[in-house]
Amino acid sequence: MFRKILIANRGEIAVRVIRACREMGIGSVAVYSEADAASLHVQLADEAVAIGPAPAAESYLDMKRILAAAQAAGAEAIHPGYGFLAENAAFARLCEKKGVQFIGPNSAALELVGDKVRARQTMDKAGVPIIPGMKSVAASPDEFQAAARDLGYPVMVKASAGGGGKGMRVVGAEAGLAVALESGRREAKSAFGDDSVYLEKCIEEPRHVEVQVLADNRGHTVHLFERECSIQRRHQKILEESPSPALDPALRARMGETAVRAMRAAGYNNAGTVEFLLDRERHFYFLEVNARLQVEHPVTELTTGVDLVRQQILIASDADLSIRQEDLSQRGHAVECRIYAEDPKMNFLPSAGRIAYLREPRGPGIRFDSGIYEGFEVPVYYDPILAKLIVWAEDRESACRRMAAALDDCVILGIHTTAGFLKDVVGHPEFRAGRATTSFIGKYFPSWGAGEGEDERRRLALAAVAYDSLVQRPGRKDIPGRAGNRTIATPWATLGRWRMGGKT
Amino acid sequence: MNFTDFDFLVDGEPRKISAESRDGTLVVREAGLVLETEVRRISANEILFRFGGRTARVHLVRDGERTHVAVDGREFVVSEHRPETGRPGEGDERTAEAGLRVKSPMPGKVTLVAVAEGDAVRKNQTLVVVEAMKMENEIKTAIDGVVAKVHVAVGDLVDSEKPLVEIERRSPSP
Repeated sequence: MFRKILIANRGEIAVRVIRACREMGIGSVAVYSEADAASLHVQLADEAVAIGPAPAAESYLDMKRILAAAQAAGAEAIHPGYGFLAENAAFARLCEKKGVQFIGPNSAALELVGDKVRARQTMDKAGVPIIPGMKSVAASPDEFQAAARDLGYPVMVKASAGGGGKGMRVVGAEAGLAVALESGRREAKSAFGDDSVYLEKCIEEPRHVEVQVLADNRGHTVHLFERECSIQRRHQKILEESPSPALDPALRARMGETAVRAMRAAGYNNAGTVEFLLDRERHFYFLEVNARLQVEHPVTELTTGVDLVRQQILIASDADLSIRQEDLSQRGHAVECRIYAEDPKMNFLPSAGRIAYLREPRGPGIRFDSGIYEGFEVPVYYDPILAKLIVWAEDRESACRRMAAALDDCVILGIHTTAGFLKDVVGHPEFRAGRATTSFIGKYFPSWGAGEGEDERRRLALAAVAYDSLVQRPGRKDIPGRAGNRTIATPWATLGRWRMGGKT
Repeated sequence: MNFTDFDFLVDGEPRKISAESRDGTLVVREAGLVLETEVRRISANEILFRFGGRTARVHLVRDGERTHVAVDGREFVVSEHRPETGRPGEGDERTAEAGLRVKSPMPGKVTLVAVAEGDAVRKNQTLVVVEAMKMENEIKTAIDGVVAKVHVAVGDLVDSEKPLVEIERRSPSP
């Protein structure tokens, strides 16, 4: 086993990995940019190394500096988290060359699954259903036109190096094809430095269902069932759950087996996820492999009881995977909400600044994976994810109710967050009925505002500020609060009526 | 009765209320509506209201001129309304000459300055691009005019308080 691991990331995921290291008796080394000197991951790690200026390109994305930091600190392995260098095959190769263990798949598998076109070819050969479409990159407009006719409109333009919806265009009819190809190319070029695009049949209103896989270095591969991630905003997941309300046991088993076959075909090891689209007729198609630990991994942990980060570290240390497929089962239901520093009332504008007050939600079945603390200054340079709120309960309905209550209990003041918006998503009847597809947010939440009961909440806010001005605030030391005096407001409760025209 | 008047701005909207607190009871009046509630301070950041058989827990924190308040999972920003000095945190300010001080809606880093002093600008023209958390935001002018002053350069970190660009309302010279 490793004695020391460097965590090449920041925020909540760095904190998550540091916790796993501590539990396993492994030393942890944090790295941080100038903007992150006071960040939570720096406080929690056993050691911390400054690696450069605030922009990610000069710090968290700088492979040489990170490797040098690992070697100087005597770390035998690097955990990349998600984002930054997590799916960078060049970095994995560099680690292999320098004798530092990359906690993730081998560089050849990483490279294969990172190339959308090659990955599609490999999966097709292995008998994994792929979205009908071109299997190679075409050169001439005529080839694209012919391919689109074969597939039948609507078709989707996709970037070969793709990800995050960049370079993606839906084309409804032949008249729009040329323009979509050109703009898709331009976006792909600026996002990935590679302008190759291809066409796929457009699956309308699909669900996004993915399967978690673990594979050790000797090819023993198991799946840990699915996560449903259809709730997305601008192609970014914002709420995930497990199990998926769309699967029955037979379909679940087929998708799980297919995911295992896909990962074997790719020569994959360590933790990874096979993403599928599920259409209205419940056909599923391979979308891509996410060759890393995912943001939404906790919902799998809570329903299977497997600690995925611990398994990643064990596999990377060349241990045999001790879990057999027949040992695994899903228990209860888990939901995750991503809490972002964005203002949902202002079209999700980023909201950096100081967290003036923080109260983390707690209670049975509630997990809060966070990279923040009270007084923390949220930097403007990185992803706006602040924390993930994950709940577990016996069934889906109970989990949704628990999530709504936990979101109410999650108080982050000083910056805007998406917590209030997420509560409305969880409370939406279409979501509650388990019918949400990837078009859910666009369809039901084109914008977001006040909502029911806002007037009363606003009045109470004013009453509280007035009271705060009228009555001297006690210092923190003489807080009278005894637990017995605290009454927790019922979730979903609306406040009492205001009475009209009082005496005074 | 001894009521105190408050002139508040809540998320940009002006609200006038008056309130009195006595013996654990808070009475709030606003345009004919009255709320009478039992009140208890739980901590520096937490106030408990009880009225009509209900309990409402409110969290709040003062941050300079503003107070951030959370009620039932929703946030509000409350400040004192002082019309003569403009509204803090409310975006652009009208200047005395009926021009405009354009501000960033959020803290971030300036990645582009699209205008120079003396440039004529049209309504909705992009003045500055501010990047925050990997998202680019175009900051535009709400009026026609001439750029009187550019306060920022590429690479500057900005907040939502200080003006980025000042626009004078006048027709550009032909």
